[in-house]
Amino acid sequence: MITPVITGVGVVSGFGVGTATFLDALAAGRSAVGPIQSFDARTFPTRVAAEVPVRRADGAWLGSLGVDMALASCWEREGRLRDRKVAFAVLAAAEAWRHAGCGPRDAADAGLSIALGLEHGFLDDFAVLLREGALDWSADPGAALPPVRHRSTVDLAARAVEELLGLRGITTIHASACAAGGLAVAHAAALVRRGDADLVLCGGADSMVNPLGIGGMSRIGAPSPRSELDACRPFDRRRDGLVIGEGAALFVVEAEPHALARGARPLARLLGWGSTQDAYRLSAPRPDGSAARRAMERALARAGLPPSAVDYVNAHGTGTVLNDPAEVRAIRGALGAHAERVPVSSIKGAVGHLMAASGAIEIAACLLPLQRGLCPGTAHHRERDPECDLDIVGEAPRRLAVSVALTNSFGFGGQNVSVVLGRSP
Amino acid sequence: MSPRPVAVVGAAAVSAAGLCWRGLASRTIEPARSRELEASHPGTLAFEVPPIPPAADAGDARARKAMSRPARLAAIAAREALADAGFRGGAEATGYFLGVGASGGPVSEMLAMLLGSLDAQGEVSPARLGAEGLAASNPLFTFHVLNNFTLCHGAILSGIQGPNAALFSRGGGTVTALREAAFAVGEGDCDRALAGGADTALHPVTWSELCRDGFAAGGLVPGEGAALLALERIGGGGSPLAYLERASVLAGRRHSLEEVLEAAVASEPDRPVDHLILAPWGEAARAALHRFARRALPGAPILDVTRRLGESLAATPALAWVSALDLLTAGSSARALVLSAGIDGDLGLVTLAREPHR
Repeated sequence: MITPVITGVGVVSGFGVGTATFLDALAAGRSAVGPIQSFDARTFPTRVAAEVPVRRADGAWLGSLGVDMALASCWEREGRLRDRKVAFAVLAAAEAWRHAGCGPRDAADAGLSIALGLEHGFLDDFAVLLREGALDWSADPGAALPPVRHRSTVDLAARAVEELLGLRGITTIHASACAAGGLAVAHAAALVRRGDADLVLCGGADSMVNPLGIGGMSRIGAPSPRSELDACRPFDRRRDGLVIGEGAALFVVEAEPHALARGARPLARLLGWGSTQDAYRLSAPRPDGSAARRAMERALARAGLPPSAVDYVNAHGTGTVLNDPAEVRAIRGALGAHAERVPVSSIKGAVGHLMAASGAIEIAACLLPLQRGLCPGTAHHRERDPECDLDIVGEAPRRLAVSVALTNSFGFGGQNVSVVLGRSP
Repeated sequence: MSPRPVAVVGAAAVSAAGLCWRGLASRTIEPARSRELEASHPGTLAFEVPPIPPAADAGDARARKAMSRPARLAAIAAREALADAGFRGGAEATGYFLGVGASGGPVSEMLAMLLGSLDAQGEVSPARLGAEGLAASNPLFTFHVLNNFTLCHGAILSGIQGPNAALFSRGGGTVTALREAAFAVGEGDCDRALAGGADTALHPVTWSELCRDGFAAGGLVPGEGAALLALERIGGGGSPLAYLERASVLAGRRHSLEEVLEAAVASEPDRPVDHLILAPWGEAARAALHRFARRALPGAPILDVTRRLGESLAATPALAWVSALDLLTAGSSARALVLSAGIDGDLGLVTLAREPHR
């Protein structure tokens, strides 16, 4: 059986650009949540986010971080960088590729399995079509707007990554909402394990930190109504909603023998994964957590591990009233008596909910316990909730030797995925 | 690596031909003036799904308020495919893998938001958007916009709880959905699965993009639809209609479409196909697929599904598989090869056969 391993990581988060920046901040127990800076959100129901600390994620910014300036300028002219996640995907991909020691030869066969969020709609572009209170589509000003107009396309970031690295394998774009990042990594691992690919770049990128993204999520009541720095308090008795984050996490995943043969150092093993559907409600999890439980059970079964092998659970932990207790029930159901002994934490209080990229950045967060022996803390978790009575790691990270980590992602609409990671010897 | 062959035990299609899959390959449909595009692009000819009778619609009126057009079509197709396959119970053992397209929020809601967001100069103002624009639109607008809901509505209404994935598709993603479903069934992740695609080219923004990118001028006729195959392990207890032998996506960036086609067909010389079903996206892909078909399989009948049912984007490859299934079950074909070529350049190859390969 081929074991898929992670040999390169790239992260862009509310803490900034780079995997070390991200892991160091988690290790220090910091939070990236702050007032929204990239647009004027003063009148919005939600005014805080875990925003990547750059006002404009444009070509100049990419160039200053080492991306080919001609390419970045071209993307800017075409309007591709109006969607912030394009720049985040590109930076995370470049870091992961470099970290894994990959080059043009690897790109010839490399596939891309990436979770990308929704299109970014540009309300300004629609405004130019307005005639007497209606949209006149024949009035499209064409050349007066950049080629990417009205909305970015879902696959825009994937095409930029392909272009940057010269990837020529098959690209798969995962569109399973908050479960997409985990599913994208699981898909890459499956491709490697069954021999469909030797090397896959995988992960996710997303940004809903824009007027329509923040506004749309606010309209359905997902974010905390409090625009405070501790807006997201996972598993806390006072939790009242999520906080939106943005960024990207990408990984180079390859067959272990392939990695060793080319001299790459495995950082972690992808041991198992499993997905299920709640088939319950659009915006609420199945309260008994049964479908989420089965995702974890399937992931452990694929890994060939008993529940007692799990040393740490990186929870989906959105900080919403309904999600957290349902997840606790699911973890207890999947791990049985062992659930009482396993540390559980959520990083969403610190980096926000990265939506399509959340599963990916949480897999990156699992490198902290697997590589540094430190379980990330649960930012703003201060008051225990009897409904969430597992061993929740508080605000401070916890020192612990971890060989096996389990991470959960549960999507809006009921899609669930769990991934089991193992420490690389 | 190819997935183990699996049995196709049912199907469903919602298309311009209505809610049917049997007879899909032989029905002749003409494009008609689009109702969906009447307000934005009046007079556009399209292959549009005919009005859905209430008894055949997805969910109840309340549920439909939260559905985009592709989500509604997919939910109908999921219910019909489960019934056609005779799948009852076993929700946890039923997988669902779907190629989906872009977001499909109603333009009327977006317009209400836009009008509520203009300042005194007629410019979009973030301050006005936050204060008034957002409240002018229905909160359900967000549900329409989430494209994974194209899968989720059907899963919720039909109680599908097994392994699943929604894959964004410009052609290749839908074939990947089928391939993943075949692996999930073949490897025992689930006992059975639905796989296909659902999408519409009749959303004003999508059609505007297709016009902008030159596809409309190139002769593309927009369509919409949803189509699913119901898969089961061979010997799983269902009555096989056909067998899925191959579901592959080949990366078009590595070679020309012709080279990819030659290599793909050359890899199975001992198993001739007697029917070619083509699902090209745009005229360049159509020309390449037809050129290849005439040269590699002279005399084999060709069914061009995009020409017959319009360009339904993520749904098109799945409509082509179901058309192939129709030919197989009608006795017109013993082994059919479905070639789909999306604008991402990737090529989908799906082989369906009436008898299991020994």
